[in-house]
Amino acid sequence: MFGFLKKVGDYTRDAAGAAQYMTQGLAVTFDHLRRRPVTVQYPYEKLIPSERYRGRIHYELDKCISCEVCVRVCPINLPVVDWVMNKETKKKELRNYSIDFGVCIFCGNCVEYCPTNCLSMTEEYELAAFDRHSLNYDNVALGRLPTSVTSDPAVHPLRELVYLPKGEIDPHVVPDSEPRAGRLPEQVLETLPKAEPPAAAPPANPDEKG
Amino acid sequence: MTIASTTQQICFAVLSTTVVAGALGVVLLPNVVYAAFLLAGVFLSVAGLYLMLNASFVAAAQVLVYVGAVNVLILFAIMLVNKREDLAAIPGLGLRRLLSGLVCGGLFVLLIRVAFTTPWGSGPEPVGEEATIRIGEHLFSDYLLPFELASVLLLMAMIGAIVLARRDVFSQDIGTGEEVDQGLIEKARTPLLLDRSAR
Amino acid sequence: MVSTSAPGSAPGLDAAAGLDLQASFETLLQGVGLSAGTAHLLWLPLPMLLVLVAAVVGVLVNVWLERKISAAVQQRIGPEYAGALGVLQPLADGLKLVFKEDIIPARADSLLFTLGPVLVLIPVILSWLVVPFGQNLLISNVGVGIFLWIALSSIQPIGLLMSGYASNNKYSLLGGLRAAAQSISYEIPLALAVLAVVMMSNSLSTVDIVNQQTGAGILSWNIWRQPVGFVIFWICALAECERLPFDLPEAEEELVAGYQTEYAGMKFALFYLGSYINLVLSALLVSVLYLGGWGFPLPVEWLAGWLGQPIDAPAVQVITASVGIVMTVLKAYLLVFLAILLRWTTPRVRIDQLLDLGWKFLLPIALVNLLVTAGLKLAFPAFFGG
Repeated sequence: MFGFLKKVGDYTRDAAGAAQYMTQGLAVTFDHLRRRPVTVQYPYEKLIPSERYRGRIHYELDKCISCEVCVRVCPINLPVVDWVMNKETKKKELRNYSIDFGVCIFCGNCVEYCPTNCLSMTEEYELAAFDRHSLNYDNVALGRLPTSVTSDPAVHPLRELVYLPKGEIDPHVVPDSEPRAGRLPEQVLETLPKAEPPAAAPPANPDEKG
Repeated sequence: MTIASTTQQICFAVLSTTVVAGALGVVLLPNVVYAAFLLAGVFLSVAGLYLMLNASFVAAAQVLVYVGAVNVLILFAIMLVNKREDLAAIPGLGLRRLLSGLVCGGLFVLLIRVAFTTPWGSGPEPVGEEATIRIGEHLFSDYLLPFELASVLLLMAMIGAIVLARRDVFSQDIGTGEEVDQGLIEKARTPLLLDRSAR
Repeated sequence: MVSTSAPGSAPGLDAAAGLDLQASFETLLQGVGLSAGTAHLLWLPLPMLLVLVAAVVGVLVNVWLERKISAAVQQRIGPEYAGALGVLQPLADGLKLVFKEDIIPARADSLLFTLGPVLVLIPVILSWLVVPFGQNLLISNVGVGIFLWIALSSIQPIGLLMSGYASNNKYSLLGGLRAAAQSISYEIPLALAVLAVVMMSNSLSTVDIVNQQTGAGILSWNIWRQPVGFVIFWICALAECERLPFDLPEAEEELVAGYQTEYAGMKFALFYLGSYINLVLSALLVSVLYLGGWGFPLPVEWLAGWLGQPIDAPAVQVITASVGIVMTVLKAYLLVFLAILLRWTTPRVRIDQLLDLGWKFLLPIALVNLLVTAGLKLAFPAFFGG
């Protein structure tokens, strides 16, 4: 008899618990209804890529010395450096340079190791194409400057979470003049106490400072 | 009202054709799934005939019980044991068919004779919308015993089904006589909600 | 629809209360010079057509609401560019489905494959027969009313099994079997919950059920007398509609899309339409059974008396009827909103949890609820319908 009553009691407690959990869950979802959307309306709004963004690679043909370091450091030897040795001047003559962005993994090794800094990462990420062969960029295509999100009049640029002021999570409501959270390296440097130049050591190069 | 009677006749013709054709299909079609679906059609058409007799409660009950429960269970059984195997030829199939055909034909002739010799009066007045109340009154007064007997029968069938389905009450399989693999038997599952009685 | 003699009986029952559009329409036509039979024949398709249109429009609104509310819950925007606030999006979806190629898989059973979605949709639409929007604003005040809905909704599993079997696909078959099992399991507590309400109103007719809840406005609604029944009914209705906590038949993570896997184009649209019409219908029936149907939270008679207007004046009648329609639809869409919110709140249950909930929890509780209702009806006939 009492076993049965205990079962009924457990049953009721279970049901009440279920109702409580359900109400809690509904309260959470209901609360979300009044929050602003966090999505970025892509073609009309775009996030500003971060400073170290590894987008499409930019290349300057004039600076290149055809050393092929980029090919050697590339995980899959992707860059194609088409050069011939000019017998008379005994110098490499660069004819073509290309990177296939359908295969590139944007690791940035080539940029890191390029001795003449002729390779650099841009903030361009809209590489979609109808044909994968059109992703094979030659030196002309690689030399084009990227379109910037902030300079495009048709696009409303939005700041990413890291570049927003402290406590803000919605870029839509923050004016552009608000500074980002934290400080830039040069700002940090300004707040540091100026190091006393060692008196004994003669200033080797007075111009080179900071 | 001529429009009403015409509609009624058309409906009757359509429904009775469906019943007869569907029933023939249930018996004659070799594909058992088709037969089961046709059975649902037959039940639905019978419900339509009840509707035409102004017995809407009986019609709804027919749909709920026969189409919604019985037929769905039949379909379930068919689909869960849908083994495609060729039936072995039975010896003397022609003779069996002839005999069953004769029996069916005899029954049919008997029914026809009954239908034509019975003096079909107009019968009692249809009660229409009041049928629900009338059925309830009958079920709880003069038809109480059959009603209760039917429920006891259903209860017995249910207990029987549970006993057959619960393999852990037998140590050996009823069908094959083999030892039941106790590992296959379902263990008591964890409850839906956290058990807070222990805490 | 039900019988050729039934629809004419409506004005005789309660000519005093509410508008009677049918009588006025037929007198209008007879005034033009048509015979009574022709006038009646012209009247007959009108309410059906109206309700069919209402059902389809209800589905469009429902789809839009579902997408917008889902988006809001997930902090998105949702459809935005098809019409203002994306209101034309469901229409665009529908058009897309109409123009898509109608594919029947090569090894499928083409007859059953085509018949399945039709069998799923027809009972749902037929059930709109008994949904009242006002005293006389329903297609047919059939005596078996709510029972007709329960009976019709039991046809649906046949269509689901049919399409699951005919697709010749293991996921479809499993989905169809699950749908049928779920549908049968939850029909029983659903019927028992309805039975408790029917016991209080002494009638199966939806109009009588609503009339029994009028009198004291919001206080006389059945939800106060049947709170447990309301919860049982709503859970079962969600399960019957295969809404999210119980959407196992089309659980995309396990079964691709269940019985809908092989369907495309218009046949898929029939399933889609069926499920949404069913949701609206269930919400409407909850509002009829538990939330006072077309009743305003304050009794309209009081309001009319307070304003010094006679309740049977034509203008007051028209206003009352419009308020009734608005209230019914409002209550139904409130429940639809709850269903959509529940969709994003609850995770999907497992099949064993689903059957446990149906057979071991809802069924005993529904039985106890019925018993308690019967006892209360005997003890307090004034409050629980003597």
